[in-house]
Amino acid sequence: MFIGFSLRYPKTVIVLTLVVTAFLLIQFPKIKIDTDPENMLSEDEPVRVFHREVKKEFGIHEMIVLGIVRDDGIFHSDTLKKISEITRKVMRIKGVIADDVMSLSVTNNVIGSGGLLEVRPPLQRVPETEEELEALKKEVLGNPLFKDRLVSSDGKGAAIYIPVESKDVAHEVAQEIKKIYEPLKGKEKFYMGGLPLAEDTFGAEMFKQMAIVAPLAGGFLMLILLIIFRRIMLVVPSMAVAMLSVLWTMGAMIGLGFTVHIMSSMIPVFLMPIAVCDSVHVLSDFYEKYRGRDREGVLRDVFRELFRPMLYTSLTTAVGFANLAWAKIPPVRVFGLFVALGVMVAWLLSVTFLPAFLRLLSEKRLKGLKKEESRSRVLSAMADLSLTKSKAIVVVGTILLVVAIYGVSTLRVNDNPVKWFKKDHPIRVADTVLNRIIGGTYISYLVFEGKNTGDIKRPEVVEYIDRLQRYLESHHLVGKTTSVADVVKRINYVLHDEDPAYEKVPADSSTIGQYLFLFLMSSKPDELDNLVDYDYKKANLWVQLRSGDNRDMTEVVRAVEEYVRKTPLPEGISIKWSGLPYLNIIWQKLMVKGMLKATIGSYWVVFILLMFLFRSFWWALVAILPLSFSILFSYGLIGFGGKDYDMPIAVCSTLTLGLGIDFAIHFCQRFRSYLSQSGDLKKAMLWVTKGEPSVAIARNAVVVGLGFLPLVLATLTPYVTVGLFFGSLAFFAGITTIFFLPALIETFRGRLLKGGY
Amino acid sequence: MKRFLVPFIILFILITSVYAQDAREIMTKSQKAFLYAGEDLKVRVTMRLISSTGKVRLRELTMLRKNIGPAGGKQKYYIYFHAPADVKGMTFMVYKYPERDDDRWLFIPALNMVRRIAARDKASSFVGSDFTYEDVSGRDIDDDLHELLKEDMLNGEKCFVIKSTPRKADVDYAYRVSWISEESFLPLKVEYYDLSGRPYKLFTADEIETVKGFPTVVKRTMKNLQSGHRTEVVFTEVDYNIGLPEALFSERFLRRAPQKWIK
Repeated sequence: MFIGFSLRYPKTVIVLTLVVTAFLLIQFPKIKIDTDPENMLSEDEPVRVFHREVKKEFGIHEMIVLGIVRDDGIFHSDTLKKISEITRKVMRIKGVIADDVMSLSVTNNVIGSGGLLEVRPPLQRVPETEEELEALKKEVLGNPLFKDRLVSSDGKGAAIYIPVESKDVAHEVAQEIKKIYEPLKGKEKFYMGGLPLAEDTFGAEMFKQMAIVAPLAGGFLMLILLIIFRRIMLVVPSMAVAMLSVLWTMGAMIGLGFTVHIMSSMIPVFLMPIAVCDSVHVLSDFYEKYRGRDREGVLRDVFRELFRPMLYTSLTTAVGFANLAWAKIPPVRVFGLFVALGVMVAWLLSVTFLPAFLRLLSEKRLKGLKKEESRSRVLSAMADLSLTKSKAIVVVGTILLVVAIYGVSTLRVNDNPVKWFKKDHPIRVADTVLNRIIGGTYISYLVFEGKNTGDIKRPEVVEYIDRLQRYLESHHLVGKTTSVADVVKRINYVLHDEDPAYEKVPADSSTIGQYLFLFLMSSKPDELDNLVDYDYKKANLWVQLRSGDNRDMTEVVRAVEEYVRKTPLPEGISIKWSGLPYLNIIWQKLMVKGMLKATIGSYWVVFILLMFLFRSFWWALVAILPLSFSILFSYGLIGFGGKDYDMPIAVCSTLTLGLGIDFAIHFCQRFRSYLSQSGDLKKAMLWVTKGEPSVAIARNAVVVGLGFLPLVLATLTPYVTVGLFFGSLAFFAGITTIFFLPALIETFRGRLLKGGY
Repeated sequence: MKRFLVPFIILFILITSVYAQDAREIMTKSQKAFLYAGEDLKVRVTMRLISSTGKVRLRELTMLRKNIGPAGGKQKYYIYFHAPADVKGMTFMVYKYPERDDDRWLFIPALNMVRRIAARDKASSFVGSDFTYEDVSGRDIDDDLHELLKEDMLNGEKCFVIKSTPRKADVDYAYRVSWISEESFLPLKVEYYDLSGRPYKLFTADEIETVKGFPTVVKRTMKNLQSGHRTEVVFTEVDYNIGLPEALFSERFLRRAPQKWIK
C-alpha cells in the first residue's frame, strides 16, 4: 500500500515528508535541557527525599572544592593573601552560599592563650612576619578541624570549599571562580573539583560533544556507505532517512514538552544505525535486481521481498524499546518510548520516502550501474564451513557461550561520575591532585538521629561519634571525618591550656552543652548548622572519601554497618547515610539494575513477538539466539577487559535489542520466504548465506561497527564506550547471524521445518 | 553666569554640610535614646534564633547595663543566662569602650572557670544571634559618615532617613539606612546593604513602650535577608535607674551571680 502510493506519487510523498520535517524543525527552539544525572531518579524517590531533607536540615549544599598548591608550602604571605582574597571574592558569586564557604580565612578555629579564649578563623589577618607565619602553621597543622580538610598535612596545599545553591549552577559558578584565580596564578597552582562540578560539567560538555560527535558519526557512516555503494545519490536517501528519523523524533519530543536529558540526548546516536539498516537492505537488493530499466517494477520487487522483514525488525525493535516504559526511571521511559517512535518513523520513511526518492532519481545518475553479483568469497567460504561442519560449530558456539557467560559473571557494577572524563581532562587532573592534598572531595554524610531534643549532647553519643571517626579514619578509603565531637574536643583542649590529656569528650552533658554554647556565642548564628541541627536531636558526621567510585562508597557503608554491629549505637540513636556519593550508589542500584531488568524484560517481549510473527517457537528461538550471543559476548568482553559496568554501558544494553535482532530476522524471514517459494531447502540456504541477504547483513555490520568509531575520539568516556560497544555488538551480531545461524538451522532443521515454514 | 554659579555652589555646600551636621546630630540623639537611656537598665531578654527553615533556638537572659560617663561613652554589661537549661548559670560580662576593643569575660559553670574572650571584632555576632555587638551597644558616632537622605513616614510616625557609611572597612556591610523617629529618636527600621549593594540585613523595631519616661523598643527583629536567618528579641521587666552598683561588673560576681539583680 505504502509502496504503491509512493511509487505512483513520489513527488507528493517527498513534499509531504518535507512539510512534516519543517513543522517538527520549528519545535527545536523550544528545547529544554536538563543535565543533572540525579534527575534520572524521580523527584519522590525516597533516597532523594532524604537527601533533600538532610541538606535542608543541616544547611548543607553540594560543594565545589578549590585547591591551592605551592611546592614550597602555602605558608607565605603572598599565597595566604591570595587565599584570603579568593575566599572573599568567591563569596560574592551569585549561586554561592556565602555563609557556608569554608576556608582558612573564614572557618572558625578555637584557640586559647594566656587565659584568653578566641574563636576566629586562623587566617583572619594575613601574617607578615616569620613568627606570625610559623604561629599560623602551628595553629592549623596540629588541628583536627583544619588538617586534611582546609590544609594538607604537609603544608603544601590549602582548600576552599564552595557550596553552591544547586548542582546545576556548579558549572557556571566554576567559570566565575576561574575568573577570580586565573589572574592570581604565580607560584601557586589551582585545581577545581568536586562531584557537583563533575556532574554539571559532564552535562554541559555532553551537549557540546553531542553536537560534534553525532554529526561526525553521521558523516563517517555516510562515507562507509559511499565506499560500499559507490553512488552518492544512493547514499543520500539512506542518510536522509536516518537524519529525518532523528529530526522527527527529537522534534516530536521537544514539541511535546519533554526535557532533553542525558538519556534522550543519546537518541540520535542510537537511532542512526537502526534507521540506516533498512535502507542498506533496500539498496543492496536494489543493486542486485536493477538492470537499468523498469525501475518501478524493480522497486516493487525489492519491497515485496523486504517489506515483511523490515516491518518485523522495526516492530520488534520498537516494542523492545517501548517496553522500557515500564522502567521505574523516568528518563529511561521517555528514552524508550521515543526511540520506539523513531524506529517506526525510520520504517515509515524507508517504505515511503526511500522508494519515492529512488523512483525519482534520474537515469543518468544510475548509468553504469550494472547488475552487481552480490557475492563475496569470504562470505561464501564461511557459509560452506558453517553448513558442512554445522554440528561442530554449534558445539564450539556453545562452549564460547559458556566462556562468555563466565565473562559476564565477572562484571563489576561500578560507576564514578568523575571517570566519565578522560584521564587528561582538567576535572580528572584536579580530582587526583585534590584528593592527594585533602582528605577527599567526595563528601558524604552520616546522620545520627536521637529520639529527644538534646540527645546529641549526651556524652556517650559524642563519644560514640568520636570513636567511629577514629575507626573510619583508619580505613584506607576514608581521608577525613569531621563532626561536632571534634568541636567539643577542641574546646575542651583549649580551655585546659592545650593539655593533650583533655583532647577528649567531657563526661557530662552540661559541659558539652556549655562548650557548644560558648562556641556559638562567638560565631555566626549558623556556624554549627552543618554539624548539628537546631535542637541537638541530630548530628551530622562528614565523611570525606578520596575516591568517588561507587564501589568504594559501598565498602565504607559496609564498614560502618559492621562497626555498628560490633559496637551497638547508644540507646535511642539511629544512623542514616546521605550525600552525593551515597546518593550515587543508590542511584546506581536503581539505574543500572533497573536498566538491566528493563532490558531483560524487553528481551522476553521481543521473543514473544517473534513467536507471534514466525508462528513458531523454534524459529523465534533460533532468531533470538544471535541476539543472545552478541549480548553475552559483548558483556563477556567487558567483564574480561576489567571494565566496570557503569551507567553508559547500562544505557548501551538497551541498544542490543535494536541491533542484534534485526540481522537474525532478516536472515530467517528471507530464508523462509525463499524456501516457501522454491521449496528447495538447499538452494534457499545457499542463497541466503552466500547471496544478497548475507551481503546486506555483512554490510550493515560493517556500517554500524565502523560508523561509530569516531565516538572513540570524544573527550567523555561514555561516548568512547558507546562507540566501542556498537562496534563489538555489530561485529558479534553479524558473525553469529552469518556464521552461526546457518549451522544452527542446519543442525535443527528437522525441528524447524517440521510444521512447514 | 559665573556670578550666579559661585553663590549657588556656596549655598549648596552650606546646605549639604548643614544636612551632614543635622544627620550627625540626629544619630547622636538616637544613640542616646536607644542605647544609653537612663543611668542603668535591667531587663529580661527572650531571644528567639530562627533558622530559614523555621527551626527555633531559645535564649533567655537577664541583662544589666550601666553607663559610665555621658551618652556615647563607656558602658558595662552583665548578662546572666537562664536558658537553655544546660547553660543556666553561665554569665557574661562586657566592658564597652567607644574608642577601642571591648573587654569580654565568660564564666563557664561546668569548669567553674572564667575566661576572657577575645573581642577584636565588634561586628561579630552577639551571643550567636543575628545582632552584632555593635547592634546591641552601638557604634562610635564618628566611625560613620552620616547623611540625611530625606524625611519619610513610617508606621504613622515622621522619620529622618539617614544613610551611614563606615569610614573604615571594619564591618561586614557597605552602608546602612536608618529610619529615626522624629519624636522618640528611636530607630524604627534599619536596612543594611552588602558590598555589592544588595540588601543584607534588616532591623525592625516591632513594639515600643515607655518605661519611666524612656521610650523603649521592647520587641525587635534582625533578619539576615541573604541566609533567611532571623533573631527576635523581646524585652520584659524593663526597669531604668535602679541604682546598679558598679562593683557588680566584676569577675567575682561573674562566678557568683547576684541573685538580687538577676532573678
